[in-house]
Amino acid sequence: MPPATTTPSAESFAPPARDVGAPVRVALDLMGGDQAPEAVIDGALLALDELPAVSVTLVGPEQVARRLLADRGRSEACVIAPATQVIGMGEDPARAVRAKRDATVRVAAQLVRDGGADAMVSVGSTGATMAAALFTLGRLPGVTRPALAIDLPTPAGPVVLLDAGATVEAGPDLLAQYAVAGSAYARIRYGLPHPRVGLLSVGSERSKGDPLRKLAYDVLTGLAEAGLLVFIGNVEGHDAAGGPADVIVTDGFTGNVLLKGMEGAAAMVTTLLTGTILDPTPGPVTAGTVLPLLAEVSDRVGSAAMGGALLGVHGVVVIGHGSSSPRAVTGAIAQAVQLHRQDVLPAVARGLAALSGRSSLHAVTP
Amino acid sequence: MERVILAAIVKVMETDPARLNRTTALVRDLNADSLALVEIVDIVEEGLAPRARPGFHIDDDDLDGLVTVGDAISYVLARL
Repeated sequence: MPPATTTPSAESFAPPARDVGAPVRVALDLMGGDQAPEAVIDGALLALDELPAVSVTLVGPEQVARRLLADRGRSEACVIAPATQVIGMGEDPARAVRAKRDATVRVAAQLVRDGGADAMVSVGSTGATMAAALFTLGRLPGVTRPALAIDLPTPAGPVVLLDAGATVEAGPDLLAQYAVAGSAYARIRYGLPHPRVGLLSVGSERSKGDPLRKLAYDVLTGLAEAGLLVFIGNVEGHDAAGGPADVIVTDGFTGNVLLKGMEGAAAMVTTLLTGTILDPTPGPVTAGTVLPLLAEVSDRVGSAAMGGALLGVHGVVVIGHGSSSPRAVTGAIAQAVQLHRQDVLPAVARGLAALSGRSSLHAVTP
Repeated sequence: MERVILAAIVKVMETDPARLNRTTALVRDLNADSLALVEIVDIVEEGLAPRARPGFHIDDDDLDGLVTVGDAISYVLARL
């Protein structure tokens, strides 16, 4: 694929001169998620109470938004951007976004595109949010498909997993885009000068994996030799909980399965530990001291690990888990604010722009 | 009108306009997948809306029949 001819250059993503003390304006999809709109509004109000210099625009049916705010005695807390249509979890994302021009995710993306918001957040359908962002904001040069990047809070420090489910199918060229975008993201977000990128597979040896992984291994090796990133080879699923890689790259199908597996495992361990602690048999620890700590860890995993940044579109977009609690919604808003303040987008754009001229990537697409 | 369609294809597929002609196949030659096709159609609809008759719409079910750039241009022309 030849270089872009009409899309903006990476230079157009230079950080704008702005008042660093100005509130970051977040457009929030009021109707997205299993517990919407109540969990969303509570999460928004929590964010306004806890986060400095943030404003929230609720995107959804105006009467619903007004009623929710009034019920909580916070009528003036948020700006409301009316949107009458909602995209359900079961709908075909691309077609639904196209058919519903007044859908909440579409209106939220338009706010970002038109300068009415600095970032958008949705805890609704990942596919619909991705499609709305793609159609409305457009993709960065060099991007075939955006990826969902999740920050996993491991004991050894954050591990960025991408793609966590934005695009189910991927070829090696797409995995290369994810690797470059994830590397730029980790460099800016976590101050890592040379993030170590690993390719998720079923063994650390180069020979392990399916044809996609083997092709991707060669492409990523080429990118490392060209100085575009640091590639450490294959990593395994357990490395997502802390290991040699700062960034783990995989296709959206596998990434989502891994993420959901980790969520399930975390919930299982939490439940088992809680049961053990609540056991009436006297022991060296007491429920009163341990349970709050356990709740804190669980909350941290729930709010921080479950919001993902959509990398590859012209704007800051954060997608949270569909079952997000108010605390998780607040976490997603906080993440959007941080991404805007850190100017992650220009760094990702520059990295991807360097990739877009490498025609060799496409030569190995199966 | 044709310009709007070509611009949408160039934007979404990041392809050189010089590569495009009426016989260019969207899937075979440009590697457009289903999401890219929907994205192109979305841009075309929005771009042509001010000039089209009320209710102008490209049906998603018709996308499979739009094999080449020429197919897309003819299809849209017939519905404007």
